Amino acid sequence: MFEEAITQNPASPAGARVLAPEGEPIEFIYNGRKFHIHAIVSRWRESGGWWNRISDGKNRVTESTIFDDGARAIWRVEAAPEGALTTFEIELDEVTKTWLIRPTSRPL
Amino acid sequence: MKSFTHLRVASGYSFKYGTAHADQLVERAAEFEMSALALTDINTMAGAIRFAKSCEANGIAPILGINLSFVQKKYRITLLAQGGHLDSLYRLVTAVNLDNSESLLTHALLERFSQYSRNLLVLHGPESQLASTIAARKGAEALSIFNSTRELFADQGLECVSHLTRGDAQFSTSHAARILGFARDNHIPAILSNAVRMLDRDDGPVADVLDAARKLVPLSNKSVSRQNSEAYFKDSSQMGYLADEISRLAGERDGRLLLNTTRDWAERALLSPRKDVGIGAIHLPDAAALGATNHSELATQLRSRCEAGLSRRYVGSKSVVAASRLEEELSAIRTLGYESYFLTVADITDLARSKGIRVAARGSGAGSLICHVLGISGVEPITHGLLMERFCSPLRGELPDIDIDVESARRLEIYDAIFEKYGQRCATVSMVETYRSRHAIRDVGAALGISPIEIDLIAKSMPHIRSSNIPKALANLPELKDLNLNTPILKMAIELAGRLDSLPRHLSMHPCAIVLSDLGLGDYAPQQMNASGYPMVQFDKDDVEAIGLLKLDVLGVRMQSAISYTLSEIERIEGAPIDIDEIALDDHATFDLIKSTRTLGIFQIESPGQRELVGKFAPETFNDLIIDISLFRPGPVKSDMITPFLATRHGLRVRPIIHDDLEDILSETEGVVVFHEQVIRIISVMTGISLAESDEKRRQLGDIANQQTVCDWFYPAALARGYTTVVVTEVWEILRAFASFGFCKAHAAAFALPTYQSSWLKTHHTAAFLAGVLTHEPGMYPKRVILDEARQWGIQIAPIDVNLSDATYRVEKSSKITRAPYLAPNVLSSGAELKLPDARGFAIRMALSDIDGIDGKEIKSIISGRPYLDLADFVYRSGASRPTTESLLMIGAFDDLHKLSTSNINRRDLSLHLQDLYRLAGSKSATSQNQMSFELQPEKFEPSGLPDITASEQVRNEIDILGMDVSSHLLEFYGDFLNKIGAVRSCDLIKHRSGTSVLVAGVKLALQTPPVRSGRRVMFLTIDDGYGCNDITFFEDKQTDFAAVLRNSWLFLVRGEIRRTGPRGISLLGTGAWELANSHEKWRNLAVYGASTT
Repeated sequence: MFEEAITQNPASPAGARVLAPEGEPIEFIYNGRKFHIHAIVSRWRESGGWWNRISDGKNRVTESTIFDDGARAIWRVEAAPEGALTTFEIELDEVTKTWLIRPTSRPL
Repeated sequence: MKSFTHLRVASGYSFKYGTAHADQLVERAAEFEMSALALTDINTMAGAIRFAKSCEANGIAPILGINLSFVQKKYRITLLAQGGHLDSLYRLVTAVNLDNSESLLTHALLERFSQYSRNLLVLHGPESQLASTIAARKGAEALSIFNSTRELFADQGLECVSHLTRGDAQFSTSHAARILGFARDNHIPAILSNAVRMLDRDDGPVADVLDAARKLVPLSNKSVSRQNSEAYFKDSSQMGYLADEISRLAGERDGRLLLNTTRDWAERALLSPRKDVGIGAIHLPDAAALGATNHSELATQLRSRCEAGLSRRYVGSKSVVAASRLEEELSAIRTLGYESYFLTVADITDLARSKGIRVAARGSGAGSLICHVLGISGVEPITHGLLMERFCSPLRGELPDIDIDVESARRLEIYDAIFEKYGQRCATVSMVETYRSRHAIRDVGAALGISPIEIDLIAKSMPHIRSSNIPKALANLPELKDLNLNTPILKMAIELAGRLDSLPRHLSMHPCAIVLSDLGLGDYAPQQMNASGYPMVQFDKDDVEAIGLLKLDVLGVRMQSAISYTLSEIERIEGAPIDIDEIALDDHATFDLIKSTRTLGIFQIESPGQRELVGKFAPETFNDLIIDISLFRPGPVKSDMITPFLATRHGLRVRPIIHDDLEDILSETEGVVVFHEQVIRIISVMTGISLAESDEKRRQLGDIANQQTVCDWFYPAALARGYTTVVVTEVWEILRAFASFGFCKAHAAAFALPTYQSSWLKTHHTAAFLAGVLTHEPGMYPKRVILDEARQWGIQIAPIDVNLSDATYRVEKSSKITRAPYLAPNVLSSGAELKLPDARGFAIRMALSDIDGIDGKEIKSIISGRPYLDLADFVYRSGASRPTTESLLMIGAFDDLHKLSTSNINRRDLSLHLQDLYRLAGSKSATSQNQMSFELQPEKFEPSGLPDITASEQVRNEIDILGMDVSSHLLEFYGDFLNKIGAVRSCDLIKHRSGTSVLVAGVKLALQTPPVRSGRRVMFLTIDDGYGCNDITFFEDKQTDFAAVLRNSWLFLVRGEIRRTGPRGISLLGTGAWELANSHEKWRNLAVYGASTT
């Protein structure tokens, strides 16, 4: 189900527009349409593997740290423009502060 | 919003797991306005005292617990002490540690020690067996696990932790919610924690490096345990948000109940840093430990023992003075309640002496008359102006510190005796090893998989500095200039090493400290077994002091072993024992020896710097020795206290007298303030305060911030007593300038005693003393130098002989003619003529233990097989290995046995014979299981006609096998050359005028480059030439040309300018240095040689 969703509905390019006034997403724009988040199904955070990014040159150095720990926060949400709800994963890349949106279920 | 209390926090004391210092966590809690904080380190409580102290300072209530394996190694739980029951936690932790070394709590242990566990709270967290059973949806089984320990703890709770990991495994929100749900269904209390291991989210990489270092593997997804960086110290609102999330997922409206229960549990576990943790308490050994029934009996015992000691040691008018001083000291001790302290230390020194082990007190304790009359300290305090107040006074809020020095070789015997007698009342003390730069960079490098060569290069060039200073240190190291420190990986490695800075790494045993207390010791500190098999409190020396445990340092001192060995050799050879502790302290011959600067082997005054100082100083009395030891320290050397002192001493300067009242205090040191005791007495005399109060002022003076306060008090106080402003100002200047450099005279006096004793032994029993020094190696010089020293006193060096040599160096009487002993040559400026020892008639027999590769078992077996008839007999019976036997033969250990000096057989023949013996043995053992036996005798051996080994080959063999030149000094082979070029022997330097340029030669003993005041690097080279030592100073201007030679050569030809610094003080100012063999070579090639052409 998850795999299928990804292949059929590619994630938005990095830099998606997400409204998150207190850090937690409320609204976002996907495929040109504005979605309102009805519920957060779950949220989690991931980070680690900074040592792998040294040798492959993908280490992103920021003002605050030279360690790119790949930190990201993910919300699995139910959202809809109107009518039917769709499940999305909204990911905040905490190193670059950019958003990424992945639908995880097809619009009903 | 109410403040949250973290009940599960791992600090850096969770070795190689926690990334934060305990006090950083406390400070963060204070910043977050939290009212309480728990410390629950993994497997240890080593951070408890520091944590409690920090909590007290920050106004936070401490909670103490521990995280342990339970039932199986993989399952972990957290125990918390209920308020008032910290002792139960300590006792249980000790019980676990004494049961197994893996900190594994078992049901059996819980049942055996339920009297302790019933006072504890237990948290079943995500890593517990209970939680994993719940997560596996085995509700009934989970309940039975929970019930199985219900009666064994005060209360049990489920611990919900969400680190916001993905999915529903441990540390995910849904896992936490499932645990919470189970708790609610079964009416079990549930609390929230964050299982903290880091201070900030940014500390993730540090945690990873610690994980890798702990598991000894490089960083990889497998070696790292974290999935994100959420195990950090979150604030109350973050924890409240998590509580809501978990609770809602478990079907509750919000996290209020979870937070309330957490708060209730925190309140049940609050401790008082003073009442519970015991900061500021005192727990001296109890009366029963010392054979008394109560405290007043202890006081009586102390008094009667002191009085007995006093009447034995003092007679006549001295005893009157001593008796009144004793009363003063006893009354101070009574006020402090320290009777058992002194009796315990006296008991332990008696214990050691009853086993024939030498003991000496060290430190300020020698200032106390009580210590002297109880036999703890050998120095008589009244004559030497030592003060009790410097050691211990009612005004000081800390336990006095007594250290005792014992024979290093027998130190553990004393430990055993103490443990046997004091049992549960004593334990060893731990020592926290922390990350310093070298370790940090090595662990980080290994974790990151940086090439070992690079890491080694960085680590080796790293001095022992704090790892936070690494970047600066690296920038200044020329040997690293080829290493690109700007690659991302090295940059990260260096940054990480800095972040490991001073984190605890490991808990080990303090090398010499023992705590002694009452039977409640187990209530005051948790214990574990240390690597040597002694119980050890998990607290370090500062911690045990903070909770008022008597700490006794039992230091192993090699010189005491050397003295003891010397005494036993004297008794064996002379047939009569000597009581070295009763010798008079004014022996003229002893001071002659010291003044001659021939002090190699003597305690404290054998170093090049000290030899120069005694040469300048020419100490005449025991008090002079105390001064000498006090002057030879960085402070006085830096501030140049020595020059005015010596100038006055030698009559080159007339010292101004500041005030008659101070004459008594200042005259012994020619007006220079050298001792703390002088500062104390000056302040006391000029202001009228007591010595104890005066010592408090002296302590304040040591801190620059407090000097003004003392100054503001001192001026009016002294002026009020009638001293003029001029005098007060002059005295104040002296106090201010020297207070921080002063030395405790009692401490120096305690050191001066073995210095004098070893000097006396060297003077009167030179061979026995040097045999003791060779056997126990107390000093800084290699054995070959001590051997040569023996040779210079006319002692024969007897080679290793299979029938005569022992495991240790033995003294023999010898009628062999040796060279004439050293006589201190006299010149106009060398002061009084010195009478030096003549040790002819003695030999020192080389020891078997110096053979390269020999072991204790072999030595024992060789000695027990004696006497041997010949080489074959030795090979058959001695049990020595073939390499050992060959080594013995090579250095001539069979020469006497085979009478080589009078027969036509030589060492090479003997060596061929040995090969034959082994060939025979080889064929024999191939056919039979038996050991070699007498039946198989080789043919009688004949001279082979090969030439014997030469003298230089012999010395080379000795260097290879024994590490030293025995039959002759290395330089003898250059004798002809050195005579021809007019090199001066070290013992003849004194005959030359100051300023003369001379050539000297010798073997390198030491090359030091200490930091000096001017910042200019100076190199000190010490060489020996078979006639003594030459100490040569090379200043920076000469180093460019000669530094490489100085560093890389062993045998030297040196050109220098003579500097005469005192009656027998000589040093050389280096102007050139060459490798001796090279110079020799050139000389042989050139018909004419001139020093300037090298």
